[in-house]
Amino acid sequence: MKGLIYSESAQRAKELMSFLKDQMELDLALPEAEAVQASSNGASRVYAIYGDVYEPFAVASAVVSVFDGHDYLFVPATNFGRQVAPIAAQLIKAEMESEIFYFRPEQDGAIVRRYFYGGKTLLEEKTGAKVFTVMTGLAQPAQQGSPSEVIRVEAKGGLSRVLQISGKQKASADITKADIIVSVGRGLGKKEGLELVRQLASVLGAEVAGSRPVCSDLHWLDEDRQVGLTGKRVRPRVYVALGISGQIQHIVGMRDSKVVIAVNKDKTAPIFQECDYGIVGDIYEVVPKLIEKLK
Amino acid sequence: MYVALNILVFLKAIPEDVKEDPRTHGPTVEGVKLKMDDISRNAVEEAIRLKEKHGGRATGITFGSDAATLVMKEALAMGLDEGVLIKGYAGNNPSLTASVLAERVSRMQWDLLMFGFSSADSYTAQVPPMVSYMLKRPLIGNAVSLRVEGKTVKGVSSYEDYNVAYEAEMPAVISVAQEINTPRIPTLLQIMAASKKPLSVEQAQAQSARTLQVLGHTFPMSQRKRIIFEDTNKGVEEVAAVLRQVLGK
Ligand SMILES: Cc1cc2nc3c(=O)[nH]c(=O)nc-3n(C[C@H](O)[C@H](O)[C@H](O)COP(=O)(O)OP(=O)(O)OC[C@H]3O[C@@H](n4cnc5c(N)ncnc54)[C@H](O)[C@@H]3O)c2cc1C
Ligand SMILES: Nc1ncnc2c1ncn2[C@@H]1O[C@H](COP(=O)(O)O)[C@@H](O)[C@H]1O
Repeated sequence: MKGLIYSESAQRAKELMSFLKDQMELDLALPEAEAVQASSNGASRVYAIYGDVYEPFAVASAVVSVFDGHDYLFVPATNFGRQVAPIAAQLIKAEMESEIFYFRPEQDGAIVRRYFYGGKTLLEEKTGAKVFTVMTGLAQPAQQGSPSEVIRVEAKGGLSRVLQISGKQKASADITKADIIVSVGRGLGKKEGLELVRQLASVLGAEVAGSRPVCSDLHWLDEDRQVGLTGKRVRPRVYVALGISGQIQHIVGMRDSKVVIAVNKDKTAPIFQECDYGIVGDIYEVVPKLIEKLK
Repeated sequence: MYVALNILVFLKAIPEDVKEDPRTHGPTVEGVKLKMDDISRNAVEEAIRLKEKHGGRATGITFGSDAATLVMKEALAMGLDEGVLIKGYAGNNPSLTASVLAERVSRMQWDLLMFGFSSADSYTAQVPPMVSYMLKRPLIGNAVSLRVEGKTVKGVSSYEDYNVAYEAEMPAVISVAQEINTPRIPTLLQIMAASKKPLSVEQAQAQSARTLQVLGHTFPMSQRKRIIFEDTNKGVEEVAAVLRQVLGK
């Protein structure tokens, strides 16, 4: 059995490799600029995509052009990957399943698991699909391994023009590896409140993460610190949720944490159903006291 | 330069909640009210804003059942000009939904097809790229901003490591991110006026060829202690003790 992984980043390609490596032989397809970083991690082949690498049609066509000889195509569920995968599935006339976090191939199809109803329920399915988007942050990146044969592939035939790429600040740390996380929600009220949150994080030796409004909307934190359905899945020993209401799309990302502590001024907030220890109170009153006690 | 725009916006009606089936203890949405999918609402809002800016029409399309009528009426109250309800939806099947929607609009004149990036119940994110593929029109996905200039549309897509600004000739397909806008809440007057807006109902003859077998559908168990302190000082005391223990301090 042979799988092809497409990812726009070497880091996520390597994560997906470790997630799948016990199940099948793997090849990678990724932009040429990322190819070097993933060319000695045990993939048989690395397809280095050059040309129109930011255009979903061009990339899907390039990926499909090397799909022959593979049984499955896996794509990390990123906002670009989520566009490439459905187009690729249509191009090879295959069925597709989204956002899986479990995969087991069988004789006549694959067993997959994914959340449904926004994360409230868990579906286990047997599917004839060949194309999958896979939740990110499921495994640690693959270690150094045997070098891969590198083959260049051109991405062309895009339907839109790329005008500009603007970099976002890369986070200094990977929250999926964090042992302890202090996570903030809209309840923080103002960006300046992060000062207090960082003090608590420093006392605990924790990484700072956040809910979607804080990361993607208000941009108080970088987007790659977002926990949840469309963010990262984290599993720290301790997850401290400050001013997070606990909507299911957030819970999906932190459900596997060992101990969950919540601070929220609304005692009916759903986060109190999803925590081990909760304090009903204001962040600006509770956190300074906590810091004091822990020092 | 101003061009009047003809916009078709796709909105999905989704269950407001999931309940536990008293017999099977599994999830059920039977008898649960429908609501407008979260990011479909952002797509509706963006369609209305573009129409307000450039002139033209914005039409809502949903593939659902009779129960989706109220959701469409809400979108009309927000400011869409008319609605199309296609009946025959038989559950989550994105490639089937995409082919029903693509087939429906292939017979129409339009400049922009507007979608939400991913729906809040099934969140497959498959429908917009598939429709774009089926109609061979450019896709700007997960857009956080949009601008129409003459016959082209420009949009910025938000990705994890960087943003990409795209330009496409219309007709084009757009999916919007939740961050693109804050949807308006219709006034009572608008809600009443919406009942006079045209809403056509039709039936799709859609057949699925999907090889999918559901093996299990459950509520993930959350086994949390749920020890809640309403007394802040006591809470701080206890939580600090837990943290010290975990940290080995
Ligand atoms: C398709 C889709 C995908 C999504 N993906 C994600 C995702 O990946 N991650 C994510 O987080 N969300 C995601 N969301 C959004 C999610 O539904 C919620 O809107 C979001 O998680 C809410 O963020 P929040 O808890 O920070 O804000 P709110 O829901 O606004 O909650 C703020 C909380 O802070 C409390 N509060 C206010 N002031 C204080 C104070 N001074 N002290 C203490 N408490 C206070 C309030 O009582 C409230 O409970 C997604 C939604 C959709 C539709
Ligand atoms: N049944 C439907 N009717 C109308 N639009 C839909 C339907 N299903 C999905 N969409 C559109 O496609 C977007 C993405 O949905 P999905 O592919 O299901 O994640 C939604 O935000 C809607 O704009």
